Amino acid sequence: MSVNIKINNAVKKFGENTVISDISVDIKDKELFTLLGPSGCGKTTLLRMIAGFNTIEGGEFYFNEKKINDMEVSHRNIGMVFQNYAIFPHYSVRQNVEFGLRNRKLDKAVVTEEADKFLKLMQIYEYRDRKPEQLSGGQQQRVALARALVIKPDVLLMDEPLSNLDAKLRLEMRQVIRDVQKEVGITTVYVTHDQEEAMAISDRIAVMDFGVIQHIGTPQEIYHRPSNTFVATFIGRTNFVDAHYLANKKLVEVGEYNFKVDNISLEKNNDVILSVRPEDFLFHEEAKTSLKGVIKDSFFLGLNTHQLVELQHNKQLVEVIRESSLENELPIGEKISLSIKGHKVNLFSKDSKENLVKRS
Amino acid sequence: MAKNIKKYFQENGIWFLFILPALLVYLIFMAAPLLDSMRLSFYTGKGYTPTEFVGLQNYIDLFTNPIWRERFFGALKNTFIFFAIHMIVQNSLGLFFANLLANDFRGRGFFRTVIFAPATLSVLVAGFLWTLILNPHWGAINQTLKAIGLATWAKPWLGEENLALPVIALTSVWQWVGMPTVLFLAGLLGIPEELLEAARVDGASSGYVFWRIKLPLIKPVIGVVAILTFVDNFNAFDVVYAMAGAKGEPGYSTDLLATFFYRTGIAGEHPIGIPNMGMGAAIATITFVILMVGVLFWLYSSRKNEDLV
Repeated sequence: MSVNIKINNAVKKFGENTVISDISVDIKDKELFTLLGPSGCGKTTLLRMIAGFNTIEGGEFYFNEKKINDMEVSHRNIGMVFQNYAIFPHYSVRQNVEFGLRNRKLDKAVVTEEADKFLKLMQIYEYRDRKPEQLSGGQQQRVALARALVIKPDVLLMDEPLSNLDAKLRLEMRQVIRDVQKEVGITTVYVTHDQEEAMAISDRIAVMDFGVIQHIGTPQEIYHRPSNTFVATFIGRTNFVDAHYLANKKLVEVGEYNFKVDNISLEKNNDVILSVRPEDFLFHEEAKTSLKGVIKDSFFLGLNTHQLVELQHNKQLVEVIRESSLENELPIGEKISLSIKGHKVNLFSKDSKENLVKRS
Repeated sequence: MAKNIKKYFQENGIWFLFILPALLVYLIFMAAPLLDSMRLSFYTGKGYTPTEFVGLQNYIDLFTNPIWRERFFGALKNTFIFFAIHMIVQNSLGLFFANLLANDFRGRGFFRTVIFAPATLSVLVAGFLWTLILNPHWGAINQTLKAIGLATWAKPWLGEENLALPVIALTSVWQWVGMPTVLFLAGLLGIPEELLEAARVDGASSGYVFWRIKLPLIKPVIGVVAILTFVDNFNAFDVVYAMAGAKGEPGYSTDLLATFFYRTGIAGEHPIGIPNMGMGAAIATITFVILMVGVLFWLYSSRKNEDLV
């Protein structure tokens, strides 16, 4: 059975130090929900509160209708996967996977049958009699995942499960985790600091900073309409350009260049922060009103070429991404004209706290 | 350049110069006395330079001559008991304390200090203090037993042949229990926290975690503690000397190999007081052989374990 998780006004303190002041979040049944944020943002702390390894100083935690604040870890019926795998080194792969089942005093035949099922699901059946040290990191993480799932937990918790793997295995394992999570159909809370991993794997993401959830949404929502400048920079790359908004004409002015946006919640003219993703700049040979700049640096990365452009009107550097062409790229020092895809930009208030674009 | 120097050193045997100082110290202060003591065990004669070569006669006497045999096997048996009490009581207590101290709780540093503190005392001082506490007439233990109405439990603790050895062993356990405690504690703290958390998530009780996770993972430490206990207690001398004298009173019931050796080879048996160096050396050699067999066995079995893992 899988459950939905409801957290109301969670508070976590270590001594006098408040790490999480007030977090409320609803995690849906069978959803893969990611807590994403820089180190020290409180994401692991929140996960460990759900697991029961951290005390809860305030608020309520529910699995469905059941309050779990003071429930013993072993009674919460959770599966957990750790960053360093936490495989028992003195047990074989099979013994590791059977560990949780044995604690449940099940019939021996049932234990073997269930363990076999998950050994096969995680494609480690052929390694079942090996010791963990004879396995690669990816295989060890498969064992950890099998061990976590075999007890049929209500909730699966994963604490940076891919961080100890090399880049290639990370891609492979994140696909495995995604597939298995969908196949088993289990509510999963996943902690990571890697935004790309979070985007690739999650149904929804909570972006955290300083113990506060900055934004909850699908990967698309968070990328396209980040709730504040922190989220805009943490998810993907973006350029912040000082701009002015003319409310009556619905125009955004950047130096002498302007463009129209019509979904802004601002009633009066105001200075704003314009956020433009590097891929949302367009290059122009000739344009009447365009953003003038000079190419300062250029990085060829295969599919795309990244260029640093100094804006003419305020000397600000912006990063621009273009698909690489077969011809020679524009050389450093070249004067260029840019325009901006107005429907994709975001405007933030000057204090960085609010996205002024109306959500549709 | 660096490679050339390495090659030059290897080819000209210069590496030998670097181990020479340590080797000399070892040979002069460890190997030579050991071998000389073995040589001495083949001689007899009164005084400090036995001159008469008797071959294996000392050993034969030790094993067959009733005068020597009774003392030797008595001391050997007592030494085994003394060691066994340490092995079982001291190390179980050490493991118990370490498992408690591995948890985070208020006053943890205080208890750690208290448990380790006796180990910093001189054995003679600790032994003397315990003879005072155990004094049958006015010692604290019997006084306390009488005060709480258990006068029948009051005993001459160091005066009864079947009590004295366990009592002395237990005072030694009291003094040294801090050693296995800190070693086990270091081992337990070395277990990654996530392993224990993973076990808890999977529904393991704390007892199950202790026996099935913690204990197997500190197996190397258990081996080290066992061998240290073996070596330390097969050599034990001072605590018995302090509490029961060189004769292992009462009636040789606390006589250990080391006290037997001391009386025979160094102090000389009462009332004559003339040491039999050759016989003493024979006792020392037998003790050495027992220890060496034990240590070699441990080294061999721990190496085998490493291969298995």
